[in-house]
Amino acid sequence: MEIDVERLKEIVGEKNVRDNIADLYVYGSDSSVHEANPSVVVRPETIEEVQEIVRYANAELIPVIARGAGSGASGHTVPIDGGIVMDLKRINRILAIRPRDILCKVEPGVVWDDLNRALQPYGLWFPSAPESGRIATIGGAIANNGSGVRAIKYGTMRDYVLGMKVVLANGDLVTLGADTRAQASGYQLDRLIVGSEGTLGIIVEATLLLRHLPKFRAMGMAKFNKLEDAGETISDIVASEVTPSLLELVDDIAITALNKTLNMNLPQVEAIVVYECDGRLKEAVNYDMETIKEVCEKHNAFGIEMGSDAKEMERIYSGRKKLFAALSRYREGFVCTSLADDMAVPSSKIAECARKIHEIGERNHVVMNAYGHCGIGLLHTKILMEATRKEQWENARRAVEEVYDYVRSVGGTTSGEHGIAISKAPSWKKEKADSLQMMKAIKMALDPNNILNPHKLMDAPDDWVTATKLRYPVEL
Amino acid sequence: MEFNRLRKWGNELNICIRCGYCYEHCPLYKVSNWEIDTPRGRLLLAYGLLTGEVEPSTYVAEKLFQCFYCKNCSKSCSAKVSPTDIFTDVRADLMESGFEVQGTTVRNAEKLCIACERCVSVCKSEALSMDMENMRVLVDKVKCKGCGVCVAECPVGAMSQKEGFGVSKKELSAKIESSLRSMNGIPKVIIFCCDWSIYPGLRLSRMELTGAENTSGIIVTVCAGRIDPGLILDTFYQGAWGMMIACCPLDECEHDGNYRAQERCALVERLLGVLGVEPQRLKLEHFATGEAQKLKNAVDSFVSEIASLGPI
Ligand SMILES: Cc1cc2nc3c(=O)[nH]c(=O)nc-3n(C[C@H](O)[C@H](O)[C@H](O)COP(=O)(O)OP(=O)(O)OC[C@H]3O[C@@H](n4cnc5c(N)ncnc54)[C@H](O)[C@@H]3O)c2cc1C
Repeated sequence: MEIDVERLKEIVGEKNVRDNIADLYVYGSDSSVHEANPSVVVRPETIEEVQEIVRYANAELIPVIARGAGSGASGHTVPIDGGIVMDLKRINRILAIRPRDILCKVEPGVVWDDLNRALQPYGLWFPSAPESGRIATIGGAIANNGSGVRAIKYGTMRDYVLGMKVVLANGDLVTLGADTRAQASGYQLDRLIVGSEGTLGIIVEATLLLRHLPKFRAMGMAKFNKLEDAGETISDIVASEVTPSLLELVDDIAITALNKTLNMNLPQVEAIVVYECDGRLKEAVNYDMETIKEVCEKHNAFGIEMGSDAKEMERIYSGRKKLFAALSRYREGFVCTSLADDMAVPSSKIAECARKIHEIGERNHVVMNAYGHCGIGLLHTKILMEATRKEQWENARRAVEEVYDYVRSVGGTTSGEHGIAISKAPSWKKEKADSLQMMKAIKMALDPNNILNPHKLMDAPDDWVTATKLRYPVEL
Repeated sequence: MEFNRLRKWGNELNICIRCGYCYEHCPLYKVSNWEIDTPRGRLLLAYGLLTGEVEPSTYVAEKLFQCFYCKNCSKSCSAKVSPTDIFTDVRADLMESGFEVQGTTVRNAEKLCIACERCVSVCKSEALSMDMENMRVLVDKVKCKGCGVCVAECPVGAMSQKEGFGVSKKELSAKIESSLRSMNGIPKVIIFCCDWSIYPGLRLSRMELTGAENTSGIIVTVCAGRIDPGLILDTFYQGAWGMMIACCPLDECEHDGNYRAQERCALVERLLGVLGVEPQRLKLEHFATGEAQKLKNAVDSFVSEIASLGPI
């Protein structure tokens, strides 16, 4: 693959192209276990520049990998075959906030927290931004069909994207969707792009539905001596008439990690459930909080704490926000890897799934924990392991496979939030076995030269362990 | 090449989950917008040096010598990795191997230096020392945190920092000029915010400042101690009606830059008095991280005070 770097410099200007090894190495990583260097990094600033880069790449059969913040956890932006990494963080204007239409128009490089800061004066917010919203971009979250901790009440990305502008593999610019919530039949092409992980087109503008900021919020925390009790509590709350705005599980492994890393002084119990209700009326919010408390108590919860002032809520929730990284320090010599990290199961299966995860981890000599936005059936697990030991990767491979075999057996799905990319592709391909052909046909129709983020999703290698170089110093 | 100091951080580099949260508040990333200029980017370079995937080069060394040690990265890391400690050690290793780069560290122009030692006395990092034999100031580039306090202190302009990081006097002056130009029909007020103290709090607070009209005058820099009297006077000369310097609470500044700012403000206030300009047009205020509401109130009342004074 020959890349004409001078041509790219003509398009975006010399100072927006880098092809030295140091920059390439940095852009070859994300938050996953994978690593592979791109051939060149470009930073377009306009839609026209994006179009020209893609046109050039399509003519020369060069891979183009759209990149936001690079916070993807499964190797989303890791360019297996090299090629052009297109850093979209500079296309980052908030184009319009239209309170009367409860929508906004944004460019793909806008960071979620910046959007929410800009919406606040209007009394509006975007409730389903990912937890990584302090750096993650609009483009990245739409491409992943991500969501946040409040998905249980507010839904996921696909519920909010009304429309978008997309640059296709041939460089054409298309406008998908409309500025309306009601959009009837015809192929839902905007929805097709949501969750396509940069494989079908480059999102260059999005129209997002917004919500009013809730006037009241209250948060609670309940402790459990048995993980099963916590899981059953969550299942019962989901099945009840109350819709909390947040419902999270934190298991004992996570509690240990938080206490160790952040000195949080949490009680060393088997599980903690954190919940939140929000709304316009304080009385209604409190009523819902009480109902949830009763469900918790029915399942032997103790030490229930509730609070509604901001500081108190921050205290209750602060641990959960920092969990992912804190898990890195669970045990000396162990690291925290994003593998099998966000499966979703039907909500009645939370307890069973959490227990299975622990069992599978133990059986395979790695540590697996269970936490996450269980209100939507989503369980985060991380595999904690000694990443410099070869046999640990064998163990991890088996553990991942076993977890997903279980998830599929109960009608769950491989990824509820972070996406598939490379690490989760083998299991996902099993899950989607009978629709893979349909996906390949769509990909072929829209990107016949396979230039957009190739080797991801259905085209990813069958073994994630050897798909790329691993980011840890280990010889396989 | 041996990376003996860096090597001991190997495990920490594995513990980092590469989430990128560290770059939310990195002042260097804010200027360049390239990922190599984020803490994560520099940690990756360090890792690459260890594994041999990145060749040591002047370019890589230059990147690793770029850090203002504001430690916003360490504060935001839930895995409790401390990027700045790792950078310090990799700097020492690179120096030992003969890489001579400047990064964000200060340089002393021997020809201009009058050996007054004022720079040495204000450097809290003990990065500067006097070579008595040759009567010149030596800079320890491993210890220098790039706060710029010595640059502002030097009476003859012998101390300097490279441009391109948005903190040199020239760059700050240009920011002031463009801010003032954009303020039409409103009180022309410049607010300097220290990136170490108030700025992260400002961003995290999710609170709009007074209104779009006032935020255009907010200029973020690293350490109030780098604002010298000349820059303050220049701000007024360029047409500002008032200027506020927001710095860390006393004793909380890692560089004692707030004490220096205090001294310099006192000096300029006297000068303003002599020139017949109301000294209250210059104000120094202290804010800790997270005190966004206090900043908002202070800005509001300062702006209305200056509005009633009108232009100079
Ligand atoms: C600590 C941590 C917490 C996280 N929490 C959450 C969470 O709560 N919820 C959640 O959903 N995810 C979460 N994630 C995963 C990840 O942060 C999100 O999926 C995020 O939305 C990715 O955004 P990004 O800008 O980093 O995208 P990147 O990682 O840069 O890219 C992700 C994918 O999107 C594609 N892409 C990026 N921009 C475009 C574009 N403009 N057009 C087309 N394709 C594009 C890329 O090609 C890639 O396939 C978390 C990750 C970490 C490390």
